[in-house]
Amino acid sequence: MRLEPLRAPAPPPLPALVTFSGDRKKFIHLVARGSALELVTAGFYRFWLATDVRRHLWSNTVIDGDAAEYTGRGMELLIGFLFALAILVPIYLAYFLVTIEAERLKGFASVPLILAFYGFGQFAIYRARRYRLTRTVWRGVRFWMDGSGWAYAWRAMLWGLLALVTLGLALPWREAALERYKMSHSYYGDLPGGFDGHGLEFFKSAWHLWVAAPFAMVLFPLFPFVYARFKAAEWRWWLSGIHFGDVRLESDLPENGLQNVYWKMIGWYFLAGIVLSVYIGICTAVVGSINGAFSHAGGAVALSKSLPLLVLTVIGYLALVLSINVAIRVYLVHDVWVRVLKSVRVESIAAAADVAAKGDLASALGEGFADGLDVAGF
Amino acid sequence: MDSSAQEGTARESPGPVVFFDGRSSRRRIVSLVLGNALEIREDGAASVLWPYDDIRQADSPPGMLRVNCLSAPSLARLDIRDPALAAALVARCAHLHENQLDGRATLKIVGWSLAAVASIVLLVIFAIPFAADRLAPMVPRAVERRLGDAAAAQIKTVFGGKSCNAAAGQKAFDKLVGTLREAAGLDVDVVSSVVATPVPNAIALPGGQMLLFSGLLDKAENPDEVAGVLAHELGHQKHRDNLRNLIHNGSTSFLIGLLFGDVTGSGAAIFAARTLMTSSYSRDVEQNADTFAMDLMQQLGRPTRPMGELMFRVTGKQGNDGLSILASHPLTEDRLKRMSEADRPPSGPPLLTPQEWTALKAICASKG
Repeated sequence: MRLEPLRAPAPPPLPALVTFSGDRKKFIHLVARGSALELVTAGFYRFWLATDVRRHLWSNTVIDGDAAEYTGRGMELLIGFLFALAILVPIYLAYFLVTIEAERLKGFASVPLILAFYGFGQFAIYRARRYRLTRTVWRGVRFWMDGSGWAYAWRAMLWGLLALVTLGLALPWREAALERYKMSHSYYGDLPGGFDGHGLEFFKSAWHLWVAAPFAMVLFPLFPFVYARFKAAEWRWWLSGIHFGDVRLESDLPENGLQNVYWKMIGWYFLAGIVLSVYIGICTAVVGSINGAFSHAGGAVALSKSLPLLVLTVIGYLALVLSINVAIRVYLVHDVWVRVLKSVRVESIAAAADVAAKGDLASALGEGFADGLDVAGF
Repeated sequence: MDSSAQEGTARESPGPVVFFDGRSSRRRIVSLVLGNALEIREDGAASVLWPYDDIRQADSPPGMLRVNCLSAPSLARLDIRDPALAAALVARCAHLHENQLDGRATLKIVGWSLAAVASIVLLVIFAIPFAADRLAPMVPRAVERRLGDAAAAQIKTVFGGKSCNAAAGQKAFDKLVGTLREAAGLDVDVVSSVVATPVPNAIALPGGQMLLFSGLLDKAENPDEVAGVLAHELGHQKHRDNLRNLIHNGSTSFLIGLLFGDVTGSGAAIFAARTLMTSSYSRDVEQNADTFAMDLMQQLGRPTRPMGELMFRVTGKQGNDGLSILASHPLTEDRLKRMSEADRPPSGPPLLTPQEWTALKAICASKG
């Protein structure tokens, strides 16, 4: 018995560690400052805030002892956005004219045209991912992507149609097919990427959530449970399917691994809502007592027209927006990132020990489109 | 190196210094010599020289200094974990932090953003109304009519496609609209109709189509009331307000949406800003249409007060309902006051005979 361990074969090399070295307080400070600047600049600071968030997350992600780096800059995003506008404005105008023509033939005949915009959004998702990937550097070598955004958009639309027709049952296969396309066009230096997750595996781990979803729509307090579980299953399946050459990722994110992140977010929503209503209540009382509004009939009506009260309400609303924006980035970006990272192991990282640098930078046009069309994706 | 040794600044790194040359992902354990330039030495390889002035800091986790060099491959990185060595290098690099975003750069972003906001606000207040006034007359009538047809199709879909067309009622309606259009100097060949819906309103579509909602007709007590409202809508048409509003509101929404991007999520701020900025323009437009309607009614020798009374019956007193700077129309009581002041006893023939008025009121009664 005691000799048995000696006879055992040499264990395989341990999977490489992925750790996160960031300071959460520093991140909160960064996001709070950035969100405040976003309000002050009427939204223009969003390009620099997004960049700062990514720089923090990337540079604190330590894989096998070496930290990654994000080399994108806010100015690139702004320029990408302006270029995207220059392209989107004529398209919006053309869309408007086509809509008028189509409407004339039959009321609401133009609804299918919205499909065209959906396709455009998918194109934007692909190109935005390409921008982010080419700004991702590890050990002095960048990730990069080729492939065609339009080819991807076609696939996304056809699979989307299938998912719609099957009431979402085909969603796992859609994700698998799209991820295969994205990953087979992704590279780390000269190491080609790939995705071998199967739709069926995802389906097996998430079908009960599909069954639960209609109930959660009715009993809406259940919805966060279902959604958090779905996201966790999706992350685990997605990460476990990724490989670059022989380097493979594995994730053991438990199904309830993201549960409390979503609940905390909901808690903050409620808290912020309560604080805002209490604040408006106090403001109303104060302004009312100064005006003597409660002493004569019709005072309450006069109060609803009071300009100081309107200004105070707007200030309260802006504070609400600010705090919600901070909470979203702390919980749904930072905390999700950290939890997901903790679940990741990297197998046979030795295959990436000497990868030759390759690949060019992609422009931020895709990010600009994604911003202009309000779409997001990984 | 001799020179560095005699300066006494040569330093062999005690902790591991990791070098990535930017050409491959190979992790090279190197030693540094801080001479006239930074010398990166690796066993069995030629050493690399980085001039101090070209060295910049790159993002790194806490407890580590990561630098790159402008004259080296752009992704070459040097990771220094030994704090003493890092401090010695930092002391030699004068431009280390040059590509970091400092307070002044942030201030610059804020300044330019505020300038952009100011220019958009000025555009919305001055340039867009001007452009809308100049552009609207340049749109060909045919295009305008197409817009109107599209809108009519949509409105009829929304209200279940029910047009009221009892023969006698339609004849009376055509007579009323025809009289007004003729007096206003507008072409008379445009089809107008009554739509069955309880919503009390009337609209003039681009290209001349006029839709009267039966909800308004039900509330009306005499032909002059309906005629006044129709004359108001004709005013919009004469001034081509539809097109101007379309150009004005479209570009304003677009510019303001662009400004805020995704900052609110709910879009409430965008809505509020747009309402504030477009409503004063819209109040002016409504005021002008009222003026037109009063002139037209006086030209036909009919009183102007009934129109105000009908609107007052529909909306009630508005003064207490909220902030007047947010309203798209002037307050109804103010409009009623204005129309009462301009009111004169009738001098022209009635616009409809009592029989025709009864037929018009019953236009929706028979299913057509």
